Amino acid sequence: MANPRSLVPATGHLPTPRPPIGETPTRRSAEHLVASVLAPEDFVETGRRLFIDTNVFMDTDTARSAGLKMLFEHCKDVAIRKGNGIVVPSKVIDELSKQSSLDASLFTEERAAAVRRAGQWLTALESAAAHGLIRKDLGDGSNPYADDLFVDLFTHFSDRYDMCLLTNDITLRLRIRLLAAEAKRQLVAGTVDVNGRIAVDTDQDLYERGARKLARITRHVDEGLAKAKDYAEVEALAPLLDKFKHTFGVADIDARPGGRRDTRAATRPASQRADGAFKRVTTLKPKDQLLGDAVIPKSGDQVIAVSLHSRHALVLGDLVGEGGEGSVYAVRDNPSQVVKIFDKDHRTEHRKAKLELLLSHELETQGIGFPSHIITNGDGDFVGYAMPRATGKELQATIMRPARFKRMYPTWTKADLVDVCVSFLEKVAYLHSLNILLGDINPKNLMVDEHKNVWIIDADSWQVEGYPCPVGTAMFTASTITGDYADALRTVEEERFAIATMLFMILITGQFPYARAGADGGDFAPLIKEGKFAFQFQGASDQDQPEGNWKFMWSHLPFQIKRLFWHTFQRQGGSRFDRRPTANEWLAAFREYRDFFGGNDDFDPMSNDVYPFRFRAFRPDTPICVCPQCKRPSAIVGRWDEESQSYHAPSLCYDCNQSKSRCADCGKPRPADVLKDGRCWDCNRKRNYATCENCNREVAQTYLVDGRCSNCQAVPCKDCKTLTARTGLSYGRCAACVKKAAELNPARLCAECHQPFITFDHERWFRSKGLDIPKSHQTATKKPCPLRSTASRPPRTAPGSSPSSANSAAPPKKSFWQRLVTWLSS
Amino acid sequence: MALNIGADDLVENPTPRVPVALCLDTSGSMMGDNIRELVKGVNLFYDAIDEDDDAHDAAEVSIVEFNSAVSLIQDFASIERLNRIDAIDATGGTALGEGVNLALDTLEKRKSTYSNAGVLYYQPWLVLMTDGKPNGRPDELERAVHRVTELVAQKKLTVFPIGIGADADMNVLARFSPNRLPLRLQGLSFKEFFEWLSKSVSRVSRSTPGDTVKLDLEGLAGWAEL
Repeated sequence: MANPRSLVPATGHLPTPRPPIGETPTRRSAEHLVASVLAPEDFVETGRRLFIDTNVFMDTDTARSAGLKMLFEHCKDVAIRKGNGIVVPSKVIDELSKQSSLDASLFTEERAAAVRRAGQWLTALESAAAHGLIRKDLGDGSNPYADDLFVDLFTHFSDRYDMCLLTNDITLRLRIRLLAAEAKRQLVAGTVDVNGRIAVDTDQDLYERGARKLARITRHVDEGLAKAKDYAEVEALAPLLDKFKHTFGVADIDARPGGRRDTRAATRPASQRADGAFKRVTTLKPKDQLLGDAVIPKSGDQVIAVSLHSRHALVLGDLVGEGGEGSVYAVRDNPSQVVKIFDKDHRTEHRKAKLELLLSHELETQGIGFPSHIITNGDGDFVGYAMPRATGKELQATIMRPARFKRMYPTWTKADLVDVCVSFLEKVAYLHSLNILLGDINPKNLMVDEHKNVWIIDADSWQVEGYPCPVGTAMFTASTITGDYADALRTVEEERFAIATMLFMILITGQFPYARAGADGGDFAPLIKEGKFAFQFQGASDQDQPEGNWKFMWSHLPFQIKRLFWHTFQRQGGSRFDRRPTANEWLAAFREYRDFFGGNDDFDPMSNDVYPFRFRAFRPDTPICVCPQCKRPSAIVGRWDEESQSYHAPSLCYDCNQSKSRCADCGKPRPADVLKDGRCWDCNRKRNYATCENCNREVAQTYLVDGRCSNCQAVPCKDCKTLTARTGLSYGRCAACVKKAAELNPARLCAECHQPFITFDHERWFRSKGLDIPKSHQTATKKPCPLRSTASRPPRTAPGSSPSSANSAAPPKKSFWQRLVTWLSS
Repeated sequence: MALNIGADDLVENPTPRVPVALCLDTSGSMMGDNIRELVKGVNLFYDAIDEDDDAHDAAEVSIVEFNSAVSLIQDFASIERLNRIDAIDATGGTALGEGVNLALDTLEKRKSTYSNAGVLYYQPWLVLMTDGKPNGRPDELERAVHRVTELVAQKKLTVFPIGIGADADMNVLARFSPNRLPLRLQGLSFKEFFEWLSKSVSRVSRSTPGDTVKLDLEGLAGWAEL
């Protein structure tokens, strides 16, 4: 819907007509061709909003300061009547309070004047708020920078309100102007003029101011006069101006001598420090020493919390967590604080000195675990420190574990992960601006809550003023770091490796950038050193991409992000491999990524999925359709065919294509080569195996007869043919036949002694070999005939015939044995 | 490369794995309480890993048994795919060398599966438990000792040799572990040992691969003699 409300020009200038919504991009350049002056009271009408930035209140130019008072006059009536006061976010109020509380005697005259001005306005705003002219209750402190807060607000409400921001910051005005080009409602950023009206630059003017600002800071950097925040400014401003020029088609000017020098300059050490920053020290402190014995307090013990201005006792509550260096405890009766107590092997001089140093700067920022107190035991020995309690859970236990991540934050989208990256980067950039390196960046030192706020914890391991970070994590360790972590100071370049790795692992939920098919994943140092980044960027598909959906997740990242990752991680051909992006450079890139969602370039409906299941659509005209098999929407994307210069759409989506073959029984997708008879192994087993009803053994069904396995089958005895269980058979015979076979055949007598001499079994053996059956003991058993009683068993030879020993003329004389047997049987 | 069965959960989980190879003596002398307590211990190990958030995603367990012959009872699998063990028959001799070799072969195969898929892993563990003297082929035993000590020296294997009862040959076990003395289980403390093992697995899985992990050797007290 077009907004027909025209703006009342305050002077004789022509009003800038607002073109209807949905126009062609030419409106972008048409909008601010003429410098305009707007009436502030228009922006306190219902449905519109007027914001004021901190720097406007601290402007020491008396004419503009008078103009600001007039602006309030102009707005007063409408704002109070409509109940729509000028918005001064709590962030701005906080900043003003902070500034006005500083001791101005240490400052230059100009800065002291600004600080006084802040104090005056603070009082004025207080009473204006009471009258309803000012709303200062807005903003929740989730964003550490007011600048970003405004950009966030303007982005978020760009389709709900017309909004105007008063700010002297050219960078911020550039950012708002860029937002305005895309927004449905009117978004303006300008300055206060001497008449209390809002002055808005033309696109060309704004661009030139920006370019001059960049040139000025770049000069500072080149001359070594730059402060830490100047590096950040250069990195943010340079790409911003490029985009601005591209969007609005403004003419370039010569204000930027030497062109883009930002990246080279930014890697040089700053010679001066930013406000509140620590000294840049490049010499390592002497080796750390253990402090002597001390009582290490534990849960339930009372300890002393010491800060610069206070000293109080507190009682350690429950154990919250245990790490390699000590334990973290809750604080009894103070839910917003926790205490880390070092164990005896990590209570060292460095830790004590480092924490005291950090504490001396009295830093406090949402999302960063700055120490708030030094903790001593009852004897006054240093044992740990207190810090604000972080919200959320370790990244290690959330985003880095897909299965758990899906359970914990099922509604999160890619944009949410981008927000997490931005939140992380904001904190890192701030710490870097203070000359603090985090050192051991890893998913256990970062927490994230359900509002996507990132907390940086583990202040005691930071590297600051020559105190090294004594710990590290292999995955996040640049290959230039060798040996013990405590033995050298890390460079910011090394820190940037960890930052890039962390960002990648947040977006790709836990996947390591150097994971690669075909490489041994048991040792990362070599993987990092080789610098082979397998994810595909331009060029042909890399066969080494790790298996799984990671390649799809990667594919959907916007080109700029992919390019930055690829050049950072890829040793061969990567232009940023040893000149890695700074936190601020990433920050600009990720803010742009966030803006991408829902914008004109966001043509793929799967771009906001954390786990896309296909590659990204190549261009806006790439056909995207539902998969006819699994019915998932947008599951199929056309592939560009160079030869035919047309798109070819596969008939099934990637997953269905992969698993065209499904198990016929359970329906689970399985690759064709593992299916047997159309079924998976489990189902085949289920279908083909059964239990023997007799012995309960699981056997293939084909071997079961009448529900019994072959072992339990009744089979005929090979002698008597009686059906017998197989287990009851011995060499195929039933027990009775076995017994019988072992008996002597009574029908066959020894030729010598006329006694039975051969068993049935033995006889059978000779027969089976085709041999003649022996005729005597001697031939059958190779033993002479046993002595036998003739009385008990009379010879069966023909009666009257002489005994075999008939050679002797004497009558046979009975042996003792024979006599005994005769007696016994008589 | 075609996906194998079981490859889905392998590739969709980016958590670096802790492969744990259990190489268990199931010779005749283990019959009775020993084998029953061992089986209970292994099942308890599974349960403990299942319940631990970190170990759950990281641990992969395989089991090789050795008696007169050797067999792979359980190939490497994530905890959700591991079947609890009902019983193991203890019978026959003590082909320890053959058992270790099969366990190492299985481990090598798993490592190459990891590599093919691009999956990261921690230094694998070999838990070797026996209650007697090896009486398999001497050359197999020598080969096993050589392979294990070689891997340990390259920091590619952590080995836990465990003697069960008074008859365990601690000298042979010591040959598998040049850096750390083998442990002798006190009585039937299988439960305590596997509890300690699961805690150690979760400790490792909370660290980042490549980091040196300090094992909780003090935790051994009470169930083992060093």
